[in-house]
Amino acid sequence: MINYHPDQHLLSLHAKGELPLSMSIAISAHAEFCQHCQQQLDQMTIALSEQQFEQADAKNTAAFEKHGEFDDLLSQFLSSTLDTLDTDVRLANNSTSQPESTDNSVTIKGQHYALPRVFKKQINASWQGIGKVSRLRLDTGEPQARASLLHIAANGEIPDHTHKGSELTLLLAGEFSDCYNTYKPGDFMLLDQDHEHSPKTTEGCLCYTIVDAPLYFTKGISKLLNPIGDLLY
Amino acid sequence: MENVQSQSAQTRYDKGHLAQRSSNQRNGAMKSDEPNPLADELAQLMMQVANNRCKTSFAKLFSHFAPKINSFGVQRLSQQGLAMDLVQETMSRVWTKAHLYNADKAAVSTWVFTVMRNQCFDMLRKVQHNREDAFGDDIWPLFESDDAENNDDDFLLSASLLQHVEELPPLQRQVVQGIYMQELTQQELADKLNIPIGTVKSRLRLGLEKLKSFMEKHYD
Repeated sequence: MINYHPDQHLLSLHAKGELPLSMSIAISAHAEFCQHCQQQLDQMTIALSEQQFEQADAKNTAAFEKHGEFDDLLSQFLSSTLDTLDTDVRLANNSTSQPESTDNSVTIKGQHYALPRVFKKQINASWQGIGKVSRLRLDTGEPQARASLLHIAANGEIPDHTHKGSELTLLLAGEFSDCYNTYKPGDFMLLDQDHEHSPKTTEGCLCYTIVDAPLYFTKGISKLLNPIGDLLY
Repeated sequence: MENVQSQSAQTRYDKGHLAQRSSNQRNGAMKSDEPNPLADELAQLMMQVANNRCKTSFAKLFSHFAPKINSFGVQRLSQQGLAMDLVQETMSRVWTKAHLYNADKAAVSTWVFTVMRNQCFDMLRKVQHNREDAFGDDIWPLFESDDAENNDDDFLLSASLLQHVEELPPLQRQVVQGIYMQELTQQELADKLNIPIGTVKSRLRLGLEKLKSFMEKHYD
């Protein structure tokens, strides 16, 4: 049973396509675990599409002024573009080129994990890590946010830390707990900078994480780790 | 049966442009039993495009959707030129992916919205991060397109299947290739290889079982 979900606001931004890639991946992956959120997203998408496409558009004067442009584009479609598209599709189908990689899983420390569908094209780096904690950075191209897969081996923990910005953790496999609770696959936790926590796991876990600012490790020996905190997440 | 439906649809279009839904239906999601003439018309047009590559129907879909896609693009992409790009890219996909549309899974509007939103997402990333990637369809699988994914998968599947055929032991490979790629009958193949038809059958069965286990391993 998944206990932690994205809120309505996040879901609706996702349905509109207005979230950055890193967060869209998180919501989409959560929805693969969580039928309830998937249904809500479906409903939102239906409502948005009806609003966009099935209602008389009061302020459609701009479209009216651009009538000529639409006509031009349409006649271009009819006279050549559609035929070109069909030819392209036929060519693509005929060339039995190499299949796209459909491997959507990762292996770390002998553990094999199948990933949600949305990660299909995102895994193209290798694992880095120290001790029980390993990280695989996703290249989302967003300067403000770092998205990663994070693996913690059995009986591992992340040293106590707070977040300078917010931190998103989506548990993909295994379990972990912190001072607040124990989490299960699909749980979606968005923590802001006021939370201090130190997740630990007994059976090991795989998470998808986003941090949108450097982490600060705050406790004892882990201060030593501070310079490489960036490496862990 | 399709012909009958499309004819009646055709006469309706001749009368003029598509009906708009009245705005008092706007609260929340549509109930599926609520009659929705616009949605029915759009579905007919999609079927014409998908099955008959009907350009007249495409033109009608274009006239309905293009201005609305444009206004979505203007809000989202702010630059006018890009809004028209969004119209072009979205309508191109409507044409090439029409066969993947499944009327049982979603209204045409919802499907086109999904195509448009995904396209817009990729265009925005290009503008904002200078990224030429196309992740939209991975993040929001074309909604209702279980079939679509299966079709895509079939394409990928057959490509990877071909690879695995190469890995079969030679005798089994020969039979699998003969039956499935050269499309010989079992008897023709038996004659050609000068072996009993029973041997063809058993090699084929072994080969297919092996292929199946390759694929299962691959997709676990």
